[in-house]
Amino acid sequence: MSGCRGAAITDTVNVAGSTTILPIAEVAAENFMQQNDEISVLVSGMGSSAGIEAVMSGTADIGTSSRNLKEGEGEGLVDIPIAYDGIAAIVNPDNPVNSITTEQLRGIYSGEITNWSEVGGEDLPIDLINRDESSGTRDAFASNVMDESHFDVGAVILPGTGQVREVVARSRGAIGYISVGYVEPRFGTRPVKALILDGVEPTDENVALGVYPISRVLHFFTKGEPEGATKQYVDYILSDEVQLGAVIQAGYLPVSTIEGGQ
Amino acid sequence: MSDPTNEYTDWEEFEDGTLTEEEVELADDRWADAEIEDSARSIDETGDEKRNVVAELMRERAAKAQSRADDDTVDKMIGIVDGEAPVGIDDGIDLAAGAGAGKLQLVTRQTQIKEFVLASVFFLCAIVAVLGVALIFAFVAYKAFPIFTEVGFGNFITGTEWSGTEGKFGIVPFIVGSFVVTLGALAIGAPLAVMTAVFLSELASKKIRSFVRPAVELLAGIPSVVYGFFGVVVIAPIVSRLFGGVGFGPLTAWIILSIMIVPTIATLTEDALDSIPMGIREASFAMGANQWQTIYKVVLPAAKLGIIDAVILGMGRAIGETMAVLMVVGNAPQLFAGITRPISTLTSQIVLDMGYATGTQRTALFGMAAILFIISMSLVLTVRLLSRFGQEMSG
Amino acid sequence: MKKTKDQIINDVALSFFWIAAGLTVAALFAIIIYVVVRGIAVVSPTFVFTWPHGVNAEGGIFPTIIASIYVTALSMLIATPIAVLAAVYLAEYAKQGLAVRIIRFAADSLASVPSIVMGLFGFAFFIETLGLPLSMLSAALALSLLMLPIIMRTTEEAIRGVARYIRWGSYGMGATKWQTVSRVVIPAAMPRIITGLILAMGRAIGETAVVFFTMGQAVNLPVIPTDSGRAMPIHLYLLAVEGINIPAAFGTAFMLMGLIFTFNLLARLISKRYKKVD
Repeated sequence: MSGCRGAAITDTVNVAGSTTILPIAEVAAENFMQQNDEISVLVSGMGSSAGIEAVMSGTADIGTSSRNLKEGEGEGLVDIPIAYDGIAAIVNPDNPVNSITTEQLRGIYSGEITNWSEVGGEDLPIDLINRDESSGTRDAFASNVMDESHFDVGAVILPGTGQVREVVARSRGAIGYISVGYVEPRFGTRPVKALILDGVEPTDENVALGVYPISRVLHFFTKGEPEGATKQYVDYILSDEVQLGAVIQAGYLPVSTIEGGQ
Repeated sequence: MSDPTNEYTDWEEFEDGTLTEEEVELADDRWADAEIEDSARSIDETGDEKRNVVAELMRERAAKAQSRADDDTVDKMIGIVDGEAPVGIDDGIDLAAGAGAGKLQLVTRQTQIKEFVLASVFFLCAIVAVLGVALIFAFVAYKAFPIFTEVGFGNFITGTEWSGTEGKFGIVPFIVGSFVVTLGALAIGAPLAVMTAVFLSELASKKIRSFVRPAVELLAGIPSVVYGFFGVVVIAPIVSRLFGGVGFGPLTAWIILSIMIVPTIATLTEDALDSIPMGIREASFAMGANQWQTIYKVVLPAAKLGIIDAVILGMGRAIGETMAVLMVVGNAPQLFAGITRPISTLTSQIVLDMGYATGTQRTALFGMAAILFIISMSLVLTVRLLSRFGQEMSG
Repeated sequence: MKKTKDQIINDVALSFFWIAAGLTVAALFAIIIYVVVRGIAVVSPTFVFTWPHGVNAEGGIFPTIIASIYVTALSMLIATPIAVLAAVYLAEYAKQGLAVRIIRFAADSLASVPSIVMGLFGFAFFIETLGLPLSMLSAALALSLLMLPIIMRTTEEAIRGVARYIRWGSYGMGATKWQTVSRVVIPAAMPRIITGLILAMGRAIGETAVVFFTMGQAVNLPVIPTDSGRAMPIHLYLLAVEGINIPAAFGTAFMLMGLIFTFNLLARLISKRYKKVD
């Protein structure tokens, strides 16, 4: 139990930011603290922007973010990619549509395409499921798919991956998007179908090869090169133990799998 | 408690709403002076020739108490009088006059100071509520203030587009959404709650009441996040199947919220119904009215103001509800587009955006919080004004 | 005997009241039964007493239970003394007047402040302005503002519920105000005061929006008040929307409701027991 820590804690690492990265950082922190009695790692999830702000202001040693830095944001931060992630468009298994193009997907999400028959499916209205604006998944989806188009404001906005998956699994006309790692059912959840995008199947291999069109990087940001306890924790996150453990369990791809990766 | 010679026992009627606040103030002042007189009087009712002897005893004790007034003596006096009533009315009044001038003659300066300090401490504690409200409003308004200069008050509350990432901060969709969700929930929940309260107060046998009332109270105890969870896993799929869409929208929120506000409205309505004197029901029955006629023509009109209060407070509960609404309403920042189309509310949007909002958007969220605060405060104010209006009507 | 029109109307109208009450009870049972049936399969000693592990919160919810109890106890510790004394003032000391009217209005307003506004205020004030960490303490402070008017009201009602003649008796014997309040009124009102406190605890433990931004959300076992943690309602929310581990969500909902109903039952038992003693 990480609650029973050694008495002599000399260093504390504050990790703040993305709720997407929260579980990985947390699990890693737990194991890390068991191996390093003298270091305490505090992880909190307040969203990517808050994480970037926290590391800029110095309240956190590491800011975690599931999106890239925006223009003018986080000047001078050191970017440490800790995992990769592909984003799959998912539909109900009963939906006959199997593949789609990025352009069609954009049309659907901007509200121009409103019926499945327009993309080769049955005559059924499309129920659009989007994520909230704080979501890194939405951010990645927007920058990879939407170009200059705006999201349809009439879409149902759900605040989490689990809900998006659950709703698509039970609604014939629904479409949503989630991390590739969450497509396969776990914990008795119902199946959903990932759409083939521009002819490429959303598999780990295709994401790793860089051929699948929607992907993103999960980041750690530090102010200056990490040192001391912070460096120890970052190194641990990048070690095989975490990369092949928590990162994969969480449904993401280890940084080492990417072609020409770090 | 119904001694007709004693005007102060009328206090209870205040709770029934038959006395005005002014009358109560008056009664309260007189009560303070005459509380001792009262007990003397009640003792007198059973008076006999021994009363002079007892009164004498009381005077002696009072004198002793004055000289060595301490808590113990007072306690002893209590014991003595408990055991040795009755006492004469005249002596009682004398005693009361002596003590009423008063009670303070019986206590030392030390006790007097203690009393004063304690009263002040209590007052300070009571003031905490005032400070709390003032602080919350002042601080939220202060944090919200930049929105008025950066976006402009008009643009903020009349803008219909909201997008944090694109710098659009119009909150009309959320205001409309909050009211759509609230009014719909009231339309379902208020009749349900009022009827449940009438059932509890007028119809149910003791046995049934002892089962239904705890159920209503338990309903109030269920956390909003559990209601939201229930809405997501149970209500949303049903709504989706029956009405199309994916089940997130006003209809689902109405169903969940209406259950959530039942306890608030039902409990307050039942209080209002219980405070109606039994006599008017009996009078109605005596004139041959049946139960429905009595409820409809006598009981409900008599409790009208209380029920309106209950509904308004239920409205406050609904408009401020956050987690449950967030989980089922669909959160689309658009104007109401149908009962199964997603909308968003002031409360749910704050939670959704707070995690990542910075700069102007942050202040916009505080602006929304300030508006929520003002809405809920005006509802409370309305209830206050209504009850004053009611007192004037009946006064 | 044939029923008259009035009687038929009467019967029909009254049946609607029965239906309304039935619906209310049915709604309660629907929620309870659903959560119990789906939740009880998950709940086990392991679930209650171990830590969540892995990225999908498998395992138990122990730290969240502790965090919930911790923050509730702390907020009650802050709110109760102030609220009870304030209630004593309102019920026993205050004369009807402007001051009392303002206090009552403030208390009613405080009670009606939407919990998310309280949460937002708590975050901006206690954490950003006063510099407190995301912690039990910050959450408890915000929560105590929410509890204050609730405890004030139940306590004041309890005190007002004490029959007036008991006070007259005490005053009549020359007892001072404080003697009357502390030795006669409060003891007589105690069972109802305690009942109110326990119900307020039930309310506090289920509160989500207030603690959402003030407590931190990371799973942590709080020891000192400045420790952060994740309360059960937040854990449930995150499981329900972010995560895919729905069984754990049901387990958490079950535990949360179990805890709250236990408080309710306790309150009920206490008030019943004291009624018998009277």
